[in-house]
This record gives sequence, C-alpha cells and structure tokens, in this order.
Amino acid sequence: MSLTAPAESHFEENMAAFAALLRAEGLVLGTAELLDALQALRHIDIADRTAFKTALRATLVKSERDLEIFERSFERYFIPLTAQAEHLREATLQMEAESARLKDAAGELSFKGEPLPLSAEEMLLYTSLPEEQRQNLQRFVQETEAAEKEMRPLRPLLETVVKGHLRYWHSRKEQLSPGSGAGGSGGGAGGISGAPVNRERRLRESDIRELSRADLPAAKALIDRLSRQLARRLVYQRQRSASRGALDFRRTVRANMRFGGRLFSLKYRRKRRSPLQLLLVGDLSASMKRYSSFVLQFIYGLQAAVANLELFSFADTLEYLTPALKEQTGLEHILERVVLEGESWGGGTDIGASLTELFEKYRELLTHRTIVIMVSDTRTVRLSQALAALQKVQERVRQVIWLNPLAPEEWSRYRSVREFGELVEMWPCNTIDQLEKAVSGRLFAANTYLEQEAGNDDQTYSYRR
Amino acid sequence: MQVDLTALRQGFVDVGYICDENALLTVYLALKLQKPLLIEGAPGVGKTELGKTLAKVLQTELIRLQCYEGLDETKALYEWNYQRQLLRIQIDSRQDGNKLEEEDLFSLSYLLERPLLKAIRSPEKKVLLIDEVDKCDPEFEAFLLEVLSDFQISIPELGTLHAENIPVVVLTSNNERELSDGLKRRCLYLYFNFPDVARESKIIRSRVPAVKDHFAAEIARVIAHIRSQEELRKKPSIAETLDWTRALVALDKKRVDGAVVSDTLNLLLKNRQDQLLFHRKIGKKGIDQLLQQPDTPGGEQRCL
Repeated sequence: MSLTAPAESHFEENMAAFAALLRAEGLVLGTAELLDALQALRHIDIADRTAFKTALRATLVKSERDLEIFERSFERYFIPLTAQAEHLREATLQMEAESARLKDAAGELSFKGEPLPLSAEEMLLYTSLPEEQRQNLQRFVQETEAAEKEMRPLRPLLETVVKGHLRYWHSRKEQLSPGSGAGGSGGGAGGISGAPVNRERRLRESDIRELSRADLPAAKALIDRLSRQLARRLVYQRQRSASRGALDFRRTVRANMRFGGRLFSLKYRRKRRSPLQLLLVGDLSASMKRYSSFVLQFIYGLQAAVANLELFSFADTLEYLTPALKEQTGLEHILERVVLEGESWGGGTDIGASLTELFEKYRELLTHRTIVIMVSDTRTVRLSQALAALQKVQERVRQVIWLNPLAPEEWSRYRSVREFGELVEMWPCNTIDQLEKAVSGRLFAANTYLEQEAGNDDQTYSYRR
Repeated sequence: MQVDLTALRQGFVDVGYICDENALLTVYLALKLQKPLLIEGAPGVGKTELGKTLAKVLQTELIRLQCYEGLDETKALYEWNYQRQLLRIQIDSRQDGNKLEEEDLFSLSYLLERPLLKAIRSPEKKVLLIDEVDKCDPEFEAFLLEVLSDFQISIPELGTLHAENIPVVVLTSNNERELSDGLKRRCLYLYFNFPDVARESKIIRSRVPAVKDHFAAEIARVIAHIRSQEELRKKPSIAETLDWTRALVALDKKRVDGAVVSDTLNLLLKNRQDQLLFHRKIGKKGIDQLLQQPDTPGGEQRCL
C-alpha cells in the first residue's frame, strides 16, 4: 500500500497538470471534468495509448473547437519515453547546428572584415533564408565593399539596406505562416489532424481583407451558412412569441358556450407581427470592396427573416442594387458589375453626398420601422456634410447601425470614426466572427423590441378573430 | 445493466452500425459512467442513428425527444390532462354523495407523460434520445440541465419523482448554436466527421448487401469527392449515400461513371445551387477522371 499510494497520487498530479495545461490553452474545464476523466480511466486499459487518449478526449473536451487544442496538447504532454529521448537528441543537434550557422553567418555578412551589427533575431532570420536570398545579400555586401574604395563611406547605408531586407522577409514569413494574427498559440508544430476545424476557425477569425484568393470560396460558403442559420433563428424567435399572446377572454367565452360555460378550450390572442425592415448601404470603394461584399452577402442571406430588404452601394455616388436583384441576376454578378463598370468609381468616397441622395431620392424607403446598416471605414470627403446627412437619415428611421471594418484599436486615431461613432452605434466587422456577432446581436435586439412593441399594441387596442 | 466493450462492439456489428474505435469507446464510457453522451457533427453523419443503434444493442425501448425552438416542459416533461379533469368534475357533480378530493384530480392517471418523464419513470432502463438539442431555447436547455444532473423531476402536486433506472441519454447537436457550458459539463463528448472512403464503403456494404465491394468503393469515392466541395450548401449525408446506392441497384447499375452521377444527382444534392455547383466544379468529366485514378487504400479523406 505504502508503495502504490504515492505512485497513484503522482499520476493524479500529472493529470491535474495536464488539465491546467488545457485550461491555459483556453479550454473551460473544472474539477468535475477531471474527476470524470480519472473515473473513465478506471474502465480502460491505460497502457493502450489510443484508448487513454479517447477517454480523456471524451471527458475533457466539450466542443468541436476544443478538439484541436486537445490533440495538440495531448501530443505535447504525453510523449512516449522513447520519443522523449529522441526529441532531446534532436533538440541538442538542432541547437549545435544553429550556433554553427550563426558563426558562419557573422563571417558572411562582414564589411571590411568586421561583422555587421545585426541582432541575434536578425542573424537567425538570415540563416533561415533560402540559399539564393543569402547569396544575393552576400553579393550586395561584397559589391558595396568594392564600391566604397572609390566613393564616400557606405557602411551606414549598407546596414540600413540589409536590415530592411531582413525585415521584409520577416513580415513575409509572418504572412505566410498559417493562423498568424488569429490569436493562435503559435509554436508552429503543425500537422494537427483536425485541419478542417482549424481552417474554419482561421476563416472566422482572420481579417477579411487578409483572406487569400484560395480561401474565398470557403469563406463565402461559411458566410452563407452563418447567415442562413441566423435567418432561421430570427424567424423562430418571431414565430415563438407570435404564436401565443395573452388569454383572449372574449373568444374563450364564445368558444366554450357550447360546453355550458365550462372552459374546455382556451383561446389566445395572436401577437401582431412586425417583421424586420433592413436597408443596407455598403461602401464599395477599393479599400472597402472586400468587406462590403461580405456584409452584403451576409445580409442578403437573411431574406427569409426580413420583410423588406433594400441594398445600396456607394463610392462617390449612390447605387440602388435591389431592382437588379429582383431580376434574379445574383448578388455576385451585381457586385462585379458595380465595381467594374459602375458610374460611381474613381472619385473620392463621399458619404455625405450618398446619404443625401438616399434621403432625397429614396425617402419612402426610410420609415420608422427601417433599420439602416452602414458599412464603411468612415473615410470620406466633406466630413461635416456627411455627419449632417447621417443625422437627417437617423431621425427618419428606427436605428442606424454602423459596421466598421477598421480594427477597433485604430478607431481612436481617426476623427471621422469618433464623430460618426458619437451619432450612431458602431460595431467592428473586420472578421467573419465579428460580422456575425455584430449583425446577430443587433437584429435579435431589434426583433425583440419589435415584438414587445407589437405585444403592447395588442394589449391596448387590438385583437384578432 | 452489465456492459462490456467486446459485447458492445459485437452488438454494433450485429446491428450493422459501422463506427470507429473512438466512437465505440466513448459510448462504452458513457454507459459505464452513466453520463449523457453529447454527439456533435454536421447533419447526416449518423448521430441520431447512434442513439437508435444503442437502443437496439441494449435491447430496450428508444424514447425520442425532438427539440425545436419553442419546445417547453409541457411537451417534453408532463402536462395535466385538463380536459379529463374537467370531465371528471362534471361527472362527479352529478353524482350525489361522491365527494371529490383535490388529490383525486392530481393523481398519476391524469398526468400526460412526455418523453423525459416517461424515460425517468420507466421501470426498465431506456435509451433517451434528445435530438437536435441546439434547436431548443436556452431556457429549455437550463431546465434540461437540471433533469440530466439529478435524474429527478419535481411535480408540485405530486412531489419529486426519482428515476428508478437512470436512462442512457444521447444528445445530438448540429452545432447551430453553442450549447451552455453547464449542459456540456454534464456530458461526455463525441464529435462525428463524415466517414472516410474505407468506412463509408463498409457502411454501404453492410446496409445494401446487394452491392459488390468495388462498386461500394466507387460510390464512397464519388461521395467523398462531392463532399470535398466546400461551397456546397448541404453535403450529402450517409442516409443519402445509401438511398443513392439503392437507387443505383434498382437501376441495375454495376459501376459508377459521370453520366450515372449526373442523371441521379437529385438523390444526392437537393438544392438547385448545389447541383449547378456540381456541374460547374466537377461535372461528368470530373467524376470519370476521379474513377480512372488508382484508389488509395483506406484513403483518409476528412471532410467537414
């Protein structure tokens, strides 16, 4: 007994440490799950690595998103002894090779026999460059050395150029590495089997403008799926509360007269429906094209849940997109047409002129039920005019929601963001995740609000037979 | 109920449900720990079928609760038979000397049992399948959490009813919305991907025995290829694969080719946009080319 007790507690400590690692990686798990895991391990052969992993996965993981974190953490934490020794040997060899490479690099990048003053990080970056790039840099250093014999001292210039070159490669590497900027834990271990899950997360969390061409079909499919899901939920939400209101006493009494006044069948009031009316104005200027077309696609997918959907685009002037959509041309085609041959192309973005045109030419679309969604980074010519036009629109409609694709940490830098933000609700939308959250949050709130209002109407002056 | 892994594995084989060792072991642990099993995955990967299979393997009744938005306790748990109670009052008022007590009206005979109560009150262990739990409202989910943690139900007029036999609970979710942490915490978790080519052809052979091995493999390869199109609105489910296979058998086909797929595409893709996408991205040619390539044995095509 005295021998087994410490061994067991050591095992439990190990498991608790693994749970702590998972928590640190972002999994929400408490003692209850850890106890479940320990209990599950009693029912399997813990010498069987696959069964051991399955038991931990079943008890500690609670969502598709966590699967990938679990896989990675498990492989890092539970390393077989043989592999552990192998890893250690590999790591030592790698370190030795790295220090040798650094020594060589210092020799390769020396000017007049003296190494250039590069930081350790820059040196490491240099050693990791492709052979061709390294040779280019060496040649450049040698040629500068030769040139200096005839001209003024070139060393400071050379240092700046070499450092600039290395910085370029650094940023390029960061762009190419998957999941960068998505808040992933980095590490670059790669090769995780849950690739599809990983990809969806990356698509959801990456800046929409940074998505590569190859990612676009999947991103569009994701947008389509999310917007259909949201439409379904909005419809459900409305149906649910619309189905049954307060007891309709008059109809109940009438219906039960044939039972001698006994209340066998109760009748309820139906709530009056006030479906959503959306009007979207998307900035399709060059810098905004990608964001606006994503938002347009997302909102377009909500048609099932929206009574009236009107789409506008603008750059320097306003373009009404809805009529073309009613002719069933398809959103993609329309966006292409607007961007490629649109009249509103070439000038500076003018939010004020576009909103004024909206207010004057399409006034009938702006009602007290309409929710206007603006998609723009707020950059415009004639800011004061734009602010006045927005105020006029806002006074006429239920609500204006502004989706801003600039990263929220940059907002304080721009005067236009601050000033528009004081007038209307502004939400970030530079990733698909943010876009979905912003739109669904606002629309759910608006849906509930409309219902409450309709419910009040019911109670005060209306009922239906 | 004594559960053993080998018997469970055999049971699944006998019923014709093909799953991997990971799924099998997770089901086994859920049974052993008497914990609900939450299965997530895309529609049509066999989540509901696992619940049904479990009932067959354990030779017990399946009680199914289909979730939808607006589902409430009266549909899921119990409801008093209001009309019957009223009738009883009326009958009783005409009979002199028979004094009706309140307890008479709120007894078990006036209680309409809904799936949750039925599963809890059953004298035998039942399989309770709570299907598409992500479709119900958060309030109902909170209520479910209470039932699934203690396996007891409080009815104000009757008191607390405890489960005589804790049912085997299987919850499925299409991941349409995130479930609450509390509910997930009470469950063991299993994620289903679409099966790889090797497993899908096994499923086809097991469910449609008339199909030869190479034919089943071809069908599975075509399906995996179609599913790999990320832009599809709805990827073909396993049930659709099986329907398609049966249709091909009925049409007396012995091999798959581009023309056959194109002619019977309605059975796989039930959306005009998806069908157009197939013709644009794959087409008859694409299928013919795919089938001309050598088959990679056990080719692990993870599709999501």
